[in-house]
Amino acid sequence: MIINVDLAADVPIYQQIRDQIVEAIAHGALTEGSPLPPTRTLAADFGINFHTVNKAYDLLRQEGLIRLSRGTGAVVTAAATDQLLPSDWTARAKTLLAEAVARGMTADDVLQACRTLLDSFGAADQEDTP
Amino acid sequence: MIVSAVLGLVLLGLVLLLALVLPSVTSNTIPFGVRIPSRYAADPVITRQAHLYRRRVLICGGIIAAAGVVSVAVTGQPLLLPLSVLVLVATWYGCFFLAHQEILAAKLAGGWFEGLHQGIAVDTELRTNPPRFPWLWLAPAVVITASTAVIGILMYPSMPQTLAVHFGANGVPNRVEAKSVGSAFSLVFLQLGLTAFLAGIAAAIVRSRPDLDPARPMGSSRWARHYMSLGAKALLGLVAMIDLGLLGSSLLMWTGTVTRWAPLVIVIPVLASVAATVAVLARNNRDRSENEEDTGLTHRDDDRYWRGGLIYVNREDPALLVPRRFGIGWTLNFGNPRAAMLLAGVVALIGLVLALRFAG
Repeated sequence: MIINVDLAADVPIYQQIRDQIVEAIAHGALTEGSPLPPTRTLAADFGINFHTVNKAYDLLRQEGLIRLSRGTGAVVTAAATDQLLPSDWTARAKTLLAEAVARGMTADDVLQACRTLLDSFGAADQEDTP
Repeated sequence: MIVSAVLGLVLLGLVLLLALVLPSVTSNTIPFGVRIPSRYAADPVITRQAHLYRRRVLICGGIIAAAGVVSVAVTGQPLLLPLSVLVLVATWYGCFFLAHQEILAAKLAGGWFEGLHQGIAVDTELRTNPPRFPWLWLAPAVVITASTAVIGILMYPSMPQTLAVHFGANGVPNRVEAKSVGSAFSLVFLQLGLTAFLAGIAAAIVRSRPDLDPARPMGSSRWARHYMSLGAKALLGLVAMIDLGLLGSSLLMWTGTVTRWAPLVIVIPVLASVAATVAVLARNNRDRSENEEDTGLTHRDDDRYWRGGLIYVNREDPALLVPRRFGIGWTLNFGNPRAAMLLAGVVALIGLVLALRFAG
């Protein structure tokens, strides 16, 4: 998978790496058991400090999306269906939806936009949301 | 002497050809070693500098070749031609540097990178599923080296008591040594050392870090994978041809054959394979995949790590091999302590060969 970091963005680099790995899992580019490079290797490829990559991997590990193992680097774990979404997920989704409504989008428009995004993920096919 | 003079001229011609072709095969976002955003790739300053560069190289190359031929004809010293190749390379760098400075000045004055989002693209699959080392391409070099050793062992009893280990420019041996394992197999040791060293570099190439274009990372990564594999194969093909030349030279030494064509046995396979390697890599040197949506990011401006536009020195970067900016293939990160160790290794290898030749 490609990770493309924008050095001029307001979003910190570790967050960009974390977000793009989450998106790759959603798209199906990364599946259960997919390996990710060891932190030092990925940091060297980016030419950035390895603590930055470590921070991204640590976030993903806390979210239960990857498993870190000594030597082999990181591995994408199975999506745990019984696992609850992180506590701040609702808060983040709320902010994004509020933004859309504040800009004058109707509920239908917002739902349609969400639907389109979800459809673009490979994972959306498996979870048949109403 | 005629042989050396012709070889010198061929080498001069090849270097000149390479100098003229290089601007067309290097990435159009790094003209003359200056990183620029793709929207400036066709800027008039760059077109003009490329034109001036070619004219300067052609004029200087013509003068140097003529001076080389005349000096050889007058002095009768054929080594003056290889020397003129060195002068040509130095002049070539001068022409490059003039263009480099002019483009750099235009870029800074025009603020070409202002307002652009600079990015870095990485393909994790190049790490989790790297290009495979082309073992099949190593086979010819190994077979030729093993054959040379076996032929040497079989011929050892019948070899002359003194072996010619060094030849003058006219092909006549100017140093002989008593037959010993060290003298008879000196070229086999050289084959072994070169094969191991160049196979090591080929292995490093397929694991090296490519310079992906954040604007089109997917196509860029596909091309990088192809180019790394091609580079490793080309290098292994090159070492096979060098080993073949050394096999031929060993046979001449072991049979006591003296011929004025002796230098050709080693020079022709090496020169031909170097030319073929350069041609294959030059044809594939530029990433030509176009059908990918632009991500809106541009490559980060990394000019400050490239001294004089050519030498990569970045202490923060753990990479050892990086793609060359102006030219074909890869170069070392001279800010990496391992680069110094590698250079020391090469010097030690050359030292070992010289020591073996002078020993006994």
